[in-house]
Amino acid sequence: MIEIIQSKHWIEWLINIAKFAFAFVPVLFILLLIPLERRGAGFIQDRQGPNRSYFRLPYFGKIRLFGWVHNASDGLKLFFKENYAPHGVNKLLFLLAPAIPFAVVLIAPAVIPWFAPMVFTFGEEVIRISGQNVNTDVGLLLLFAISALSAYGAVLAGWASKSKYSLLGGLRTTAMIISYEVCLGISIMGILLLAGSFRLDQIIAWQDAHVWGVVAQPVAFFCFLIAMIAETGRAPFDVAEGEPELVAGFHTEYGAMQFGLFYMGEYSHIGINSILVSILFFGGYSIPFVSTSTIQSNVGISLGVLAFVFVFAILAFLHLLYRYSRYLKKSSYANKSAILREYSLYKIVGWAAAALLLAAGVISIMYFKPAYTLIDGQAVYGIGVALGTAFIQILVLLAKAVFFCWVWIWIRWTLPRFRYDHVMNLGWKVILNVAIVNLVITAFIVKLIGD
Amino acid sequence: MVRQVKQKPMNWIEKLYIFEAFRGLYVTLKHALRGVFRYETLPTVPYPEQKPEINHAYRAKHRLMLRPDGSPRCVACQMCATACPAKCIYIEASTSADGRIEKSIQRFDIDHLVCVFCGLCVEACPVDAIRMDTRETSYVHRDRQSFITSMEELMDWDPKDYPEDDFQSQVAPGGKRNKEALDSWGLKVN
Repeated sequence: MIEIIQSKHWIEWLINIAKFAFAFVPVLFILLLIPLERRGAGFIQDRQGPNRSYFRLPYFGKIRLFGWVHNASDGLKLFFKENYAPHGVNKLLFLLAPAIPFAVVLIAPAVIPWFAPMVFTFGEEVIRISGQNVNTDVGLLLLFAISALSAYGAVLAGWASKSKYSLLGGLRTTAMIISYEVCLGISIMGILLLAGSFRLDQIIAWQDAHVWGVVAQPVAFFCFLIAMIAETGRAPFDVAEGEPELVAGFHTEYGAMQFGLFYMGEYSHIGINSILVSILFFGGYSIPFVSTSTIQSNVGISLGVLAFVFVFAILAFLHLLYRYSRYLKKSSYANKSAILREYSLYKIVGWAAAALLLAAGVISIMYFKPAYTLIDGQAVYGIGVALGTAFIQILVLLAKAVFFCWVWIWIRWTLPRFRYDHVMNLGWKVILNVAIVNLVITAFIVKLIGD
Repeated sequence: MVRQVKQKPMNWIEKLYIFEAFRGLYVTLKHALRGVFRYETLPTVPYPEQKPEINHAYRAKHRLMLRPDGSPRCVACQMCATACPAKCIYIEASTSADGRIEKSIQRFDIDHLVCVFCGLCVEACPVDAIRMDTRETSYVHRDRQSFITSMEELMDWDPKDYPEDDFQSQVAPGGKRNKEALDSWGLKVN
């Protein structure tokens, strides 16, 4: 026991334990995804989307946070509803089923690298910390193996509900997950051949050194994206819960937070898949034309640029707020004074954040000059530089992932649902074959060019 | 007559689906960006705070038209009550004080819970005494009895709410056109 503890420096232990927090990132994606989905759907359909709920602050009155409070209170309602099981269900399996897809999303991100491997000097020692929680060679395989387990949730729910709709929904989900897992596995083989490793950080390193996966493997990217959407069971491939046929598919008999767990499992799954797409095909945490060592040697400027990007985003947001306030003042809304009062809070917070970030950026550029020591001919920096670099890389990865979350939502509210046999035809007759041809060609080229 | 709609067959690009899917994505993206950057141009309105613009031609709650002296224009001919398919109009007549007119109304009730807002009463009225242009679409009461709207309530409207170029509509106590109307009626102008 003592030897295990002493095998690592205490700062290494601390960072490694702190890294466990990344297990909750896909779950936190729910907080973003549900408002994004519901208001995004509203905007796409020329509606305003849910924005009614509010909480009160002393001076500013009703704070609605652009609909975020509405979604949060919907979740709260779900949480406090009675758990109800219909008569005749298999009690144990019925209770167990919703937990499986949700448990899976807590385990699956263990192999995702959130930042480039950290190497820094702390006191006398050189400390190395990998970007993922589980530093293993099987990497991507482990992730696929775990996330495929979520099929059990659907199967058990369908079986335990003792309802024909649930059973059919469960069967369809299982069939879809199994058939699209095949496409998924084969479509990424090309990029794995190129990178020569199952490790996600190796794949990112290859993309950093050469080109993004989407440029090297555009066909594989499309196959992967379609297979991913189908595997998550989202529109246009959500035949498993097609309302006109199956009520709500495998979770027909579920209510309250048991349904909520399925829902959260699905959304976290989207989060994981978005992160995976951005890692495999869009360079993950790497920034094009800027390598990790460049960021490290110019960490002050990098952080400053990051702060300026945020300042720009906040200013754009404030611009929209001011423009809409001007419109509101002229409008005939009965509650326009209340809305303007609410917006004054956002304006204060926005200006304060912009000013603080601007100051932080300027200070970072002017004064954050890293010192380094040369170890084996390579510059190794201190812990501040390592953490700053990791921070930038996490944000880059999350920004890419959020974009893909939006792609998921965008596709859902655009394309109509496929018929069940069409989904299966697409999976087995089109995407699988395209992916295999792509794999063969890639393998041929890799062999021809050599590594 | 059967009209046959000829569908244009899809060409091979459309049959591939993927390109048409991208076209659809472009359309939805435009709408989504409009919601973010031009929020005020969305066609929907947040209902209780902002009321939608309703046309005067919309068949809403009824009103009884008035003569310039403030009495109801209705002559109690029972045409509207007869035309009403829902039988929601109840009229009690009495002798009119004006010698030129035979009857006037004592009571004129419309049960708005029974009313189907078909507008047949407006069509039937020979003297244009009843109209449905108040633009009031939502009126809420706590009990059923309150939905039976009395004559006084139907006559209680403000000429300012109605378009000024409507000559008849302005003929009410306080209305701008009253002088002309009284002239045309051959009555003395007070």
